[in-house]
Formats: sequence, C-alpha cells, structure tokens
Amino acid sequence: MSYPKVDYQDSTIQVSQKNRNEIMNEIEIVKLAVQGDRAAFAEIVKKYQGRIYNLGLRMTGNEQDAEDILQETFLSALQNIANFAMKSAIYTWLYRIAVNFGLKKLQHRKKQYGHIDIDDPDTDKLSHEALHDWPDFNERKVNDKHFQEKLNEAMMELPEKYRTVFILRDLHEVSTVDTAKILNITESNTKVRLMRARNFLKDKLEDMLSHEEL
Amino acid sequence: MKKERNIMFDQVCLYLGQDLDSEPCKIIQEHLQVCDNCEIFVDKIKKTVKLYKTTNDCEQIPTQVTKKLFSVLNLDDLCPEGEDCDQKKHQH
Ligand SMILES: [Zn+2]
Repeated sequence: MSYPKVDYQDSTIQVSQKNRNEIMNEIEIVKLAVQGDRAAFAEIVKKYQGRIYNLGLRMTGNEQDAEDILQETFLSALQNIANFAMKSAIYTWLYRIAVNFGLKKLQHRKKQYGHIDIDDPDTDKLSHEALHDWPDFNERKVNDKHFQEKLNEAMMELPEKYRTVFILRDLHEVSTVDTAKILNITESNTKVRLMRARNFLKDKLEDMLSHEEL
Repeated sequence: MKKERNIMFDQVCLYLGQDLDSEPCKIIQEHLQVCDNCEIFVDKIKKTVKLYKTTNDCEQIPTQVTKKLFSVLNLDDLCPEGEDCDQKKHQH
C-alpha cells in the first residue's frame, strides 16, 4: 500500500537563494527598526500581524482575545525594540511575547475546558482500531463550516501546553528548535508534546468520523 | 512478540513528534513499509495534521483589526493598502 505524502518541509533545512535574500532584507529592516525607524517597524508589523493574530486566535479560540494579544504584542515590541539584541530572528522574539500575553489571557479564564489527561498513544488500542483506514478529506468537507467548528472545538479541548506546541509546529510550521526557544522548553519536550497533541486530535477526528458520513 | 511490537511502536511515536517527512530513523521508515498497523496509524496522524493545516490560514486578519492595530501603534500613516486606511493616507 502506498499513501500520498503530506507536503511538509522543515523551513530551517532548505534555505534557497530567494529565502536568503529575504532574510538579509529582513535583517536590514530590523536593524532600522531597532534604531527607531517607524517605517521599518511598520514593515515588521505588516509582515507578522497575520501570524500573531492567528496564534492568539488559536490559543484562546476567541477573536476579541486575539485582537488584544495582537495589540499588546506589538505595543510591547515597539516599546522594547531598541533593546532587541538581534541574536535571534525577530519572529521568535515576537512569538515569545505573543505566547506570554496569550497565556495571561488563558489564566484569566477559570479552566473553561477542565482537565484532560493526555496520554501517549495506546499500543493495545492500535492493534484493534488502526486497521480501519481513513479516506482523503474532500474539498467540500474541508470547506464545511460546521466541520471546521468541530475541528476548532477539538483543538480547544487540548490542554494549553499541547495546543501551543501544535499551533507553532504544525499550523505555523515553526521548527522544533525555534518552538523550544519560544516556549522555553527542551527540544525533546517539544517533540513529546507535539506527538501527544497530534494523537489527541487524531482520536478526536476518529470520533467525529465515526459519528457522521464524510 | 507483543513486547517487540511495543518497542517498535514507541519508536514510531517518537517519530510522530518530528517533522513527519523527515528521516529521523531509517528503521522506522522500513518498518512502516511492512507493518500495516503502524502505517495506517501514521497515515491518520498525517491526515489529521494536514486537515488542520489546510483549514487554518495563518496570514488571515480582518482589515478592521489591522486598521485598529496601526492606530494603536500610532502608525496610521503607514497602514497597508485598504479602503479605510487609504483615506487616512491621503489626509497626511
Ligand atoms: Zn508496526
């Protein structure tokens, strides 16, 4: 049996000439922004506002919170950019600020989704269940608003520490190394959390699929 | 027999915390070729990740949110193209 490959790429592995030029260009822009250049800072905002907004949205599941996190992140960045040492990429710095504001938001909420234990995949379960293959999801299904809501709900059931890793690694395609830096955890911890998050969501999807016709 | 399978499965799980198309372990890749259980399991994880990825647009942000952000930052004059922002730009 052969399965289609998921088109994933670790962005840190292959740096093309085009990417190299972009990175050089970004370093110049960040340098200017550090020196207080408004237009340069605005360029950074333009480039990363979507990702920071999405990060907040996926972390909190709430548009108003996402907007707050977005504003707080860039306000904080604007106030502190003069101290940015350029030792890391600007986006890891921005992501770290945003994650911290996101965590604050979540702490304000009283465990809305309760405690959920996340285990490693169950070996015994595997032998019974895994043999039922899944179909490829067709476009109609993927664009189905109700289905998308279900997917989002499942993601919000993930405890925060797993959800954030999943958002960074799989949705934003941040490398393991950078995710570990952003979250201030080890690389192996990042991998374990990602594995558990993926498995949790897979099980959720399995439930969904067993309850409806795709 | 079972124990052996569990050990292999643990390896597959470690693999699942990585970039799914990377080659962290040749043995796992080889095992996936011959073991239907693990292959389907990995395939489901890949489909799950792909589904979430395709239903999430990382770059999408409402125009109003952008406009407010640039205003909060006192960068209205540098707000990217957009009907509302354009008007402000012309005023400067
Ligand atoms: Zn196997």
